[in-house]
Amino acid sequence: MALKKLRKMLDEKEIGAVELTRRYLDKIEKTDKNVNSYITVCAESALESAKKAQELIDAGEAGAFTGLPISVKDNICTMGVKTTCASRMLEDFVPPYDATVIEKLKKDNFVMLGKTNMDEFAMGGSSQTSYFGGVKNPYDTSRVTGGSSGGAAASVAAGLCAAALGSDTGGSVRQPASFCGVTGLKPTYGAVSRWGLIAFASSLDQIGVIAESAEDTGYVLDGIYGYDANDATSSKKSYGNYTSLIGGDISKLKIGVPKEFFGDGLNDEVKTAVLRAVEYYKQLGCEIIDVSLPSLEYAVSAYYLISSAEAASNLSRFDGIKYGFRSGLGENFNDLIKNSRREGFGSEVKRRIMLGNYALCSGYYDAYYKNATRIRTQLRSEYAAIFDKCDVMLTPTAPTTAYKIGEQENDPVKMYLADIYTVTVNIAGLPAISTTCGYDSNGMPIGMSLIGRAFDEKTIIAVCDRFEKDFERKECAL
Amino acid sequence: MRYQPVIGLEIHCELQTDSKVFCTCQNEFGGSENTRVCPRCSGMPGTLPLINQNAVRLAAKAGFATDGTVNNYSAFDRKNYFYPDLPKAYQITQFDHPITTGGYITVFNGNKMRIHHIHIEEDAGKLVHDDYEGISMADYNRCGVPLIEIVTEPDFRSVEEVQDFVEKIALRLKYAGVCDARMEQGSMRVDVNISIMPVGSTEFGTRAEIKNLNSVKAIGRAIEYEINRQAEILDNGGTVIQETRRFNDNHGDTKALRSKEEAHDYRYFPEPDIPPVWLSDEDIAEIKASMPEMPQSRFKRYTEEYGLPADDANLIISSKEFSDFYDEAVKINPDYKQISNLMLVELNRNLNESEKTISDVTFSPADLAELVKMSTDGVVSKNAAKDILKIMFDKGGKPMEIAKNNGFIMDNDASEIEEIVNRVIAENADSVESYKNGNQKIFGFLMGQVIRLAGKGANPKIAKDVLTEKLK
Amino acid sequence: MFNSDLTKHLAELSKIEFTDDELEQMTADMTNIIAIMDKVCEFDTSKPAYALDAVDYNDLRKDKHQSSYPTESITANAKNVKNNSFVVPKVV
Repeated sequence: MALKKLRKMLDEKEIGAVELTRRYLDKIEKTDKNVNSYITVCAESALESAKKAQELIDAGEAGAFTGLPISVKDNICTMGVKTTCASRMLEDFVPPYDATVIEKLKKDNFVMLGKTNMDEFAMGGSSQTSYFGGVKNPYDTSRVTGGSSGGAAASVAAGLCAAALGSDTGGSVRQPASFCGVTGLKPTYGAVSRWGLIAFASSLDQIGVIAESAEDTGYVLDGIYGYDANDATSSKKSYGNYTSLIGGDISKLKIGVPKEFFGDGLNDEVKTAVLRAVEYYKQLGCEIIDVSLPSLEYAVSAYYLISSAEAASNLSRFDGIKYGFRSGLGENFNDLIKNSRREGFGSEVKRRIMLGNYALCSGYYDAYYKNATRIRTQLRSEYAAIFDKCDVMLTPTAPTTAYKIGEQENDPVKMYLADIYTVTVNIAGLPAISTTCGYDSNGMPIGMSLIGRAFDEKTIIAVCDRFEKDFERKECAL
Repeated sequence: MRYQPVIGLEIHCELQTDSKVFCTCQNEFGGSENTRVCPRCSGMPGTLPLINQNAVRLAAKAGFATDGTVNNYSAFDRKNYFYPDLPKAYQITQFDHPITTGGYITVFNGNKMRIHHIHIEEDAGKLVHDDYEGISMADYNRCGVPLIEIVTEPDFRSVEEVQDFVEKIALRLKYAGVCDARMEQGSMRVDVNISIMPVGSTEFGTRAEIKNLNSVKAIGRAIEYEINRQAEILDNGGTVIQETRRFNDNHGDTKALRSKEEAHDYRYFPEPDIPPVWLSDEDIAEIKASMPEMPQSRFKRYTEEYGLPADDANLIISSKEFSDFYDEAVKINPDYKQISNLMLVELNRNLNESEKTISDVTFSPADLAELVKMSTDGVVSKNAAKDILKIMFDKGGKPMEIAKNNGFIMDNDASEIEEIVNRVIAENADSVESYKNGNQKIFGFLMGQVIRLAGKGANPKIAKDVLTEKLK
Repeated sequence: MFNSDLTKHLAELSKIEFTDDELEQMTADMTNIIAIMDKVCEFDTSKPAYALDAVDYNDLRKDKHQSSYPTESITANAKNVKNNSFVVPKVV
């Protein structure tokens, strides 16, 4: 149900906050065993929050999030609640502090239903690398949810929360949203504080929102955006009011369609659906402009080198000494941490760490890491040129729809190449939103992405909302 | 063969900030284990560094203190390595874009020792080892204490040049308020890179890096040891290997710290969590303007303008507070020599006896300036000035009031003295007789009697003149 | 060319223990992965490397300390603590 509507129902006492939370908890209890979208369900504290929320509502002191049941990806630190990153390494890690986004929502007394499943340390596009088991797609539980925020997307799709916080480093909000038939917003880099988000790749990571609609993602972003003194890379350029352009005239907008995003490797059904969406906007009166991102061919490699290099460094702190998994093996410091990391990390995380150190190590740095950052500069300027000509860019979110579990997630190269349509947005630090624009012959959702200028989430939310208003989604089976 | 050492220095200095460099924990020495720690400096997942403006400021000041160039643009990098005292497993430092570049210090023999650059970084924690249990225990209180590393060129050719440089840079950093430079406490740590080459050669040898030098004396001993060790290797046809060695103060020797196969690859790359820092020309000028006058400049002023002997000038500049006190005093009473004398002799005597420092002194430089003026103007005697200073030192108070209350004001009325002299002569007829018979020594006794009766305020010169006259 | 010596070297830098079988698998994976990463090596090296926008000196955090965290909240997640310190096998 739309957040605005839920807000109204709570405020007008059509439903009590405790009852609402209990409904979600009951549904989680009943159906999540089929989906595995949650790692931790906070039943007790959620009801406690709901009770407090009701008091605030009764006192007429409710804020935008008071009593709204929301799920949180398990790489966002929550004080006193396990934050595992879906890794054995952090299986029992309990942070002594809250992420800024949690602090902000807590001010309103939101209801945190639980912590959602994901790819280990957010590295992956299937949500199958979780130490706690893979997440299953609510549209077809034999299929993947995409990832890494697969639990977040599935929890929204299956109606196991009103909205979800995820994180997006190379498509981790948009791609699972696309696979699960919901809406995923990746804000501009710096729009949302990263304080408390367990880092994968610091220069690319951004907390995002997965919800039922573009309007809902804007609603949640209004609650979590903003400069934060705790994050030196957070920005003062955001002003909120993310849903303020919804309902306005979008027919004067210019929509760029980059030819490189519709070439080889794009599934025909996906291509057809996305081009149908382009046609929809054309019918509205929008000007459709052919644009080009010539360096797209370098994007996947540059993305993997940069993100893995940062990850190798960011994940070095996991040594079993201060927190996290500590091996029983190892006579000396070196052996102890090597064994702790061997047993604590899954194989995809190890591959990324190895790749990252390859990119950074002596003799390879210039050819790999440094060149990747040159490509980064180049992609940013190519995007700048595109946004000189158009207001929004429209692309497919992923080359395919959700595939069968076990079909491709064990082939790293295949997995990496599938990120082609999402990673440039992170490399350029831009905002993007993915929404469902069709279904394939198996009934699986097809996603398209709208990419905007930096800090112009408003426009892509409004453009996305317009499409959603005229598009009929199919309910998932669960 | 005779060898020539070639030496370069890497000096780590803890900055005197209030908070740590990337978090808000207090920057303070010591304390119980892990009591000045937060999620940030203990490397908890999800935390981010926040650079301390004052750390940047003090690092820039270190640049000015050594005549270096403060850069508009400086950036941070990660240095990756695993060690239990480094909770993030990377140290945030500056690699490509340090805060300052260049600079030099001229040492005793007139040679300029060049500084390559100064960069900002964070300190690591401390390990306590338990041999019995075979464990090391990590305390992160020192994690994130701001450091600068001063990297010199390999310009040093002797122990004396190194020691003089270290003493001079320590003094300048103290003056600039950058670092308290206590080598024994580890707030200033000097690593020595040393190689040797045959005298007359211009091709540098392979260097060893010597760590754990906690005094200027230890630096000298370590260098001497290392020169001999390397010379012995070369004389026997061997080759010196590049390695890090640790100086043992008890044995006076150096030992290899880690073996070669563990050679580090630090995988430096730009720190993605900290944007580069931009100092505008105005910022740089403002920081520069806030620098106090450096000791070498004060030395020049004291010797060339004030005419103080070099030894005295060196004594005054050896403490900034002392030098500041002196400068304040001579601003009010430009009697450079007398003020220097009173401070170096009498004030220092009081300080030493009470085991205090100049910062503990409760009277003002103006009080001291006034006291010297009272003495030179003949308001109080020189001896009285010393007594007054002691009272000011012990109990406080203004010199003129002390002089009045304690009868130190010199009585310059000759007629009063004359009466007393007459009385002394009358009461000590034997001594007068003896003096007149040529016993010159007895004059002092008679003089003492006059002063005793006249009190502390007696003007000794007048008393002496009158007594001499009367005894004729 | 990627080989098992390089894998071993990277494993040491990464501080991850591998069995012989795991090492072999990792070498195979890395060989395939590096093959696509090699794409970046052909990029024009005269282009500038990316850097974050600089922040003004005056916008940096002011130097004022605040309370630290209680020691037990810092050590609570550690498996081996003694004297309020983190315990490791003896180093040096």
